[in-house]
Amino acid sequence: MAIEEVDAGSELDERSIVDPAIEIRNAKVTYDEGESYVLDDVSIDLDRNEVLGVVGESGSGKSMFASSLLDSVPDPGVLTGRITYHPRDGEPIEVLDLSKEELRELRWEEISMVFQGAMSSFNPVLKVRTHFEETLEAHDANVAEGMDFARELLSDLYLDPDRVLDAYPHELSGGMTQRALIALSMVLNPEVLVMDEPTAALDLLMQRSILQLLEDLQAKYDISLVFITHDLPLIAALADRMAIMYAFRFVEVAPTQDLVANAAHPYTRMLLNSTPNLDAPLAEMKPIEGQSPAPINLPSGCAFHPRCPLAEEQCMQSEPDYHDVSDRQGARCFRWEAAQAQILLNYEDMLEDRGTSGGDADE
Amino acid sequence: MSDDGTPVLSLEDVEVHFEDKPGLLEFGDETEVVRAVDGVSIDVMENDVVTLVGESGCGKTTLGKTAIGLQRPTGGSVKYRGHDIWDIRDGNSDADITWRDVRTSLQIIHQDPGSSLNPNRRIQTILAEPLKQVRPDLGRTEKRERILSLLERVGMNPAPDFADRYPHQLSGGEQQRVALSRALLMNPDVILADEAISAVDVSLRVEMMDLMLELQAEFDTSFIFISHDLSNARYFTAHADGQIGVMYLGELAEIGPAEEIVNSPKHPYTNVLRWATPDLSLQQTGEIPMRKIDVPDPVDPPSGCRFHTRCPEAREACQTEHPPTYSDDRHHVACFRENEDHDYWESPKLTD
Ligand SMILES: Nc1ncnc2c1ncn2[C@@H]1O[C@H](COP(=O)(O)OP(=O)(O)OP(=O)(O)O)[C@@H](O)[C@H]1O
Ligand code: SF4
Ligand code: SF4
Ligand SMILES: [Mg+2]
Repeated sequence: MAIEEVDAGSELDERSIVDPAIEIRNAKVTYDEGESYVLDDVSIDLDRNEVLGVVGESGSGKSMFASSLLDSVPDPGVLTGRITYHPRDGEPIEVLDLSKEELRELRWEEISMVFQGAMSSFNPVLKVRTHFEETLEAHDANVAEGMDFARELLSDLYLDPDRVLDAYPHELSGGMTQRALIALSMVLNPEVLVMDEPTAALDLLMQRSILQLLEDLQAKYDISLVFITHDLPLIAALADRMAIMYAFRFVEVAPTQDLVANAAHPYTRMLLNSTPNLDAPLAEMKPIEGQSPAPINLPSGCAFHPRCPLAEEQCMQSEPDYHDVSDRQGARCFRWEAAQAQILLNYEDMLEDRGTSGGDADE
Repeated sequence: MSDDGTPVLSLEDVEVHFEDKPGLLEFGDETEVVRAVDGVSIDVMENDVVTLVGESGCGKTTLGKTAIGLQRPTGGSVKYRGHDIWDIRDGNSDADITWRDVRTSLQIIHQDPGSSLNPNRRIQTILAEPLKQVRPDLGRTEKRERILSLLERVGMNPAPDFADRYPHQLSGGEQQRVALSRALLMNPDVILADEAISAVDVSLRVEMMDLMLELQAEFDTSFIFISHDLSNARYFTAHADGQIGVMYLGELAEIGPAEEIVNSPKHPYTNVLRWATPDLSLQQTGEIPMRKIDVPDPVDPPSGCRFHTRCPEAREACQTEHPPTYSDDRHHVACFRENEDHDYWESPKLTD
């Protein structure tokens, strides 16, 4: 059964993604020898040069997904499955077969990460400059050239390179620290950048500004970006594609436009309706009742059924496969057509107007 | 109390300056002054909601704390039902209100509920504390009953089970409900909710705001709500027909009814906050509508209009003169662009 299911999911990607930077197949993480999974049979491709948004509630397994990409799930977790990294030139690399040393090289040079709570990843007693130099040295890179590139990255991020490099981490504001860290993660010119809630501790204006800068950086340096967050609207303007995580799996994957206009999974539709935004009518924002499940005590059948208004007998009995909504959109739900028809999006009127009425209320 | 049109809280020209001792490595012994709040006037009416939005470090929390008497202003006045609270505190007031009444009437819930709840006390004990203060006449069983019914009311069921837990056995959202309950048990006139929903998942924020709105009506309280997120500010404030105040570097840039601030912002900075607020229209939002990303140091705020170093509309006139507040009914804006005849329009644009 598991095989069939996964095939359905990855088939979608295999058809639509020609040049993946990373292929993830059947990735599973367990902490209790397979009694329960905190990442459960996840398959997806990261397209080269795409921005993939991974969205889910707290505890849904987002960080497990991120750390799986570099075979670095926290001990004593066990990761199985297949993670294949495709360098731009050269042979594909099986990440889970690498030695510790090979992994260390892959990290930062090819796949770089900015983790949740990353502010603390700067050592408070070292100047920012030292962090850059040590990283370059650890990867046998030319330090002088690397520091020139660091300066360029810092300027790209609207920072004054000399001031920032000469500062100690505590002398920088939260937003500056976060941008310096992004520059550091890119200093070896990686192919893939994975960011796990990198901006959650910052105010919205700084978050938005950083996303805008990331968009520019992504285009300038041709990187593939995985951006992980619980805030769907926040990355809607940045992500090319989104993968929605619920109870340790992806329940829906789709290009962002399709997801926002035609989400097919009830959870996605309810998530879209639960978030206040500036344009939706006030009365119609609805929270999702109930709580997302813990890895033990996962509900039978579709894990969303206790919270799903469309749940039927079959949802409690068996687990839904991916259903193709289109060539590039899939949802793990038996009743996705009913979901589209019956769970109305509270900004639907606004979608219809799109194209005629434009952007900001400005001027 | 009767609604005679006297605001519950009235802030007039409030100023809060902090003296910051120079660091070891800095020269000279001049103390630096952080101008956290400058010249802010706001009224909070009965059953009102006043929301403060702005970037981190713009003075929202300091202003909120000053409004509820947790911070003494260095200038201006804070009045509770018409009486200066610091005169009451200093015994210089003829009002028949005690400092204790003031402190009880003005409550706070914090951003991080976990750290404000005593980890060694059960929820029951945490909530009995305020009841002991305001209703010393209640017996044990009556107290327990009140607590249980309030826990039920805030959606923590089964209440007896939750009452016997310790804070660490609750989720962030549940801890926040306990913090809200504790504030409500004081029977306050105003609750300051400082980023009270920021720590919970996006999908749960609406639920928390709905709860606060329902309780506001039930318990007859006003809220000062602090948020850096304009869409949450709009949701909470518009439902209560309140006002949103936009703060920039310690000053009020604009204040007015929620929908007006959101749908027809007048101050360029409010526009920037609007740009920063994600929506699902997926329109390419384009360039950051500001000349600089980082906020200037509040120790040495820019001359003239404090926003002039980042404002996309700034002109030379903005560097020297401080803009007055232009008012139109309930909508107040501190920007020269509100005055058609101002020299601003003749002066050259700032471009750096
Ligand atoms: N070291 C660990 N040992 C056992 N279980 C763990 C460990 N770390 C995380 N988990 C569990 O794995 C599940 C997924 O956690 P994960 O950190 O991936 O969630 P998340 O979606 O990133 O959440 P958040 O939004 O809170 O960061 C959760 O149920 C969590 O309790
Ligand atoms: S499979 Fe059933 S329970 Fe699961 S999301 Fe679809 S309708 Fe709801
Ligand atoms: S007064 Fe000038 S600098 Fe200030 S907000 Fe208005 S246009 Fe911008
Ligand atoms: Mg996480």
